[in-house]
Amino acid sequence: MRYIPNTEEQKKEMLNDIGVSSFEDLIRVIPADVRLKGRLNVPEAMSEAEVAEKIYHIARKNSDFFLMKPLIGAGAYRHHVPEAEKFLLQREEFWTSYTPYQPELSQGTLQSMFEFQTYLARLTKMDVVIPSIYDGASATAEAVLMSLRLKHRNRIITSASLHPHYRETIKTYVAPHEPVTIELPYEDGLVDIGKLKELITDDTASVIVQNPNFFGGIENLAEICEIVHSKDALVIDAVAESMSLGVLKAPGEMGIDIVAGEAQSFGMDLNFGGPYNGYLATKKEFLRQLPGRIVGETKDIDGKRVFVMTMRAREQDIRREKATSNICSNHGLNITAANIYLSLLGTEGLYKVSLFNTKAAHYLEKLLLKSGRFERVFDYPFYNEFLLRSKNTVSIVNGKLLGNNFLPPLEISRFYKEEEFKDVLLFAVTEVLSREDLNKLAKILSE
Amino acid sequence: MKLIFEKSVKGRDGYSLPADLFDEVNIRDCIPAYAATDAKRILSEVSEVDVVRHFTKLSKFNYGVDDGLYPLGSCTMKYSPKVDEKLAALDNFVYAHPLAPEEIVQGCLEIMYESDKLFCEITGVDQYTMAPAAGAHGELTGNLIMRKYFVDHGEKRHKMLVPDSAHGTNPASAAMSGFKMVEVKSNKEGTVDIKQLDELMDEDTAGLMLTNPNTVGLYDDRIQDIERIVHGKGGLLYYDGANLNASLGIIRPGDAGFDIVHLNLHKTFSTPHGGGGPGAGVIGVKKLLIPYLPTPIVTSDGKKYHLTDIGEKSIGMVRAFWANFAVLLKTYVWILSMGADGLCDVSEASVINANYVLAKLKKHYRPAYDRYCGHECVLTGRDYKKHGVKTLDIAKRLMDYGIHPPTIYFPHFEPYAEETMMIEPPESESKEVLDEFIDAMIKISNEAKTNPEFLTSAPHATPIRRTDDVLAARRPILTYDDELKLKDELQYRDEDINF
Repeated sequence: MRYIPNTEEQKKEMLNDIGVSSFEDLIRVIPADVRLKGRLNVPEAMSEAEVAEKIYHIARKNSDFFLMKPLIGAGAYRHHVPEAEKFLLQREEFWTSYTPYQPELSQGTLQSMFEFQTYLARLTKMDVVIPSIYDGASATAEAVLMSLRLKHRNRIITSASLHPHYRETIKTYVAPHEPVTIELPYEDGLVDIGKLKELITDDTASVIVQNPNFFGGIENLAEICEIVHSKDALVIDAVAESMSLGVLKAPGEMGIDIVAGEAQSFGMDLNFGGPYNGYLATKKEFLRQLPGRIVGETKDIDGKRVFVMTMRAREQDIRREKATSNICSNHGLNITAANIYLSLLGTEGLYKVSLFNTKAAHYLEKLLLKSGRFERVFDYPFYNEFLLRSKNTVSIVNGKLLGNNFLPPLEISRFYKEEEFKDVLLFAVTEVLSREDLNKLAKILSE
Repeated sequence: MKLIFEKSVKGRDGYSLPADLFDEVNIRDCIPAYAATDAKRILSEVSEVDVVRHFTKLSKFNYGVDDGLYPLGSCTMKYSPKVDEKLAALDNFVYAHPLAPEEIVQGCLEIMYESDKLFCEITGVDQYTMAPAAGAHGELTGNLIMRKYFVDHGEKRHKMLVPDSAHGTNPASAAMSGFKMVEVKSNKEGTVDIKQLDELMDEDTAGLMLTNPNTVGLYDDRIQDIERIVHGKGGLLYYDGANLNASLGIIRPGDAGFDIVHLNLHKTFSTPHGGGGPGAGVIGVKKLLIPYLPTPIVTSDGKKYHLTDIGEKSIGMVRAFWANFAVLLKTYVWILSMGADGLCDVSEASVINANYVLAKLKKHYRPAYDRYCGHECVLTGRDYKKHGVKTLDIAKRLMDYGIHPPTIYFPHFEPYAEETMMIEPPESESKEVLDEFIDAMIKISNEAKTNPEFLTSAPHATPIRRTDDVLAARRPILTYDDELKLKDELQYRDEDINF
């Protein structure tokens, strides 16, 4: 077998050196009754060429997604990923190394984590960053657990305009703690501020909102923070589309306590939902309650600046059942992906992409409204996603779109069962769509 | 080496956008005043060339499996085949949106469905969830399933048994799932103390989390007794798949009585570790636990594949979307490449490798347990303490020989496992590579006696030397901006590190 180098002869030699006559001698301790009788019912080995052909055939059962123009986001965004990033990520030193427990052989990974922490701290204007939790949803759930520990209170309020998968994930993670979980309704596509004032209590640990929210709406975070902080509770801001940080005021400037983000937009392909990369950003005072790995700067014995994993007394391999979380492996390589991506974009690039996404989305909304085939559901400010009610049924719209190689927007009734969401679509626009694409789309949909 | 921020030159960029930027749309009409930023976020300003050189240089300070032996115990740092990467990078997968209509993602769903069938066959359980993103995530999912199962059956079981030799993730996962962790001691053979297990297992206990071979690399010869005791009191058995590399085609956890099995696709199933992930920690369960799995799972009606809701007993979702799909795809390719016999060969070769290292080194490093091991062996550096040399020093010195150290100080419970190094040489390592490692280890054992200071100050040949971890924790500098604030105090030797 090409991945197992030792020959039969070497095997014999090694068994001889061990002092046994067969492999069986080494595993005799396993009781015969639990041994597998016979062979695994797994297909015979395929050659490299055979397996490649098989997978190419399976790939063709998907649409040809590269050339499909996406109108869907909802927590997973198609942005252009520069080839330089893809090329660099293939370097085996990044790909085939382990968690950087031995800093002398891992400065590449460690420095990359440190740089990404810096980027995210600047983007969110928070003090400290955990660069990798599995994804945005699990990062948000970890943030909620953190708030329960910090506040010693057992009531949380989750916004109904938070991504449904994020809400589901929070529910799963907090279930053992049995907190009272209240859903905060929306009003015209944004958090219902009046309701928030009613629902917030002295025993609330945290309020979880998403910005831009699941409908694309831009929340007034400062106002939300003021209300929530009056009861000494925390505000967790889930940022599912981190590209928005380029044009929106930073969560740290608005009073947010914990940012739980999804960095997929920073150079990660869609990959049918994963792997992406979650992150947490918060205030220095909460550092010791953070889950997951963080990198710090120090010196080596020669006095050089070096990077190491630090504040490790929070982690499972040291604190075991008293750790802040069980997280061990995270999505480390995606930290480097995002770091390379943000380095390529730079100060101007991030701003411009974020601006492009906002403007192109607003351009499309106007075009579609002008067509007379769509109407607004909410009168709300949005970033790059927006809701429109179609006068045609969704199946007619989707048929037209798929026929013209557009990937249809999300049918919002998949997640929201209210009557007002019948035939409502959540459009997303990114820089992979040009003015020409948007004009063509509007034309198709107005026919 | 310089940070990307220190290479920034005002006015440079490394990215291209189309020329038409919708300039006629006024951003003030889009974003309300309460949310509009008044200043651009300062990142860095570098060209594509700068970026490529920066990260190429960074990569050279890393050591990966493609560089050589990476014998971290319980981490299964095996070779990751290149064809897996190539096939996982096919456009039709890479650009597939997770919420696209089912009829146009049939290829992705087929991969998930077929992977489930293969995993079930390999491990002897009935249904997998592909959702968990890592081993610990799988443990959390498995514990939450146990919790839900007992709640559903009206039982209040609040304890979880975990062997003292378990990885830290086991107790942490149990605690996160609301269980009180109860430790089960190991006996002097390195396996579960059956008598104590029998005493501890009661009707308040949800189950036992176990690795087999266990976390010190030993097959538990009393696995049937363990099964009888746990199931006898109505508990569930959880299999931590960290060490499955020793069992492929030999024992299936499901056949041995385990109810829940997690697999680390980035260990046994060859996907690369990526400097700490992404991997995947899929879990499989026996029939009785299927209703509690995270939702959804992939089903087939014979014509089409579907994402199917698991129903109201499900623990819910543990992440957004469905799976670390790209990782799953690499695993699928690997299993097809190995075939049934190839999978057996994996375990045979890795067990022989580990026993070979043990046989060759046990004269020089006293083993924690003197018996044949599974796919990894535990040696100790305890005999060198009298020379002032610790296992840490041995590990650091190994780097000078161009080899990544094994896992050290794990397991770390007394009295059997002291100053430990856990060595896992997976099937992808040849006898020649192991011989070089063995030679280096023997040389180091001699150095420990004759020149201990050389070890305590090692490594000498790496790009950087031993780090001041206490300083890092005492004076946290967690971003470049933290460093800038302390600029006057910090006096680094301002010489660039070399490779």
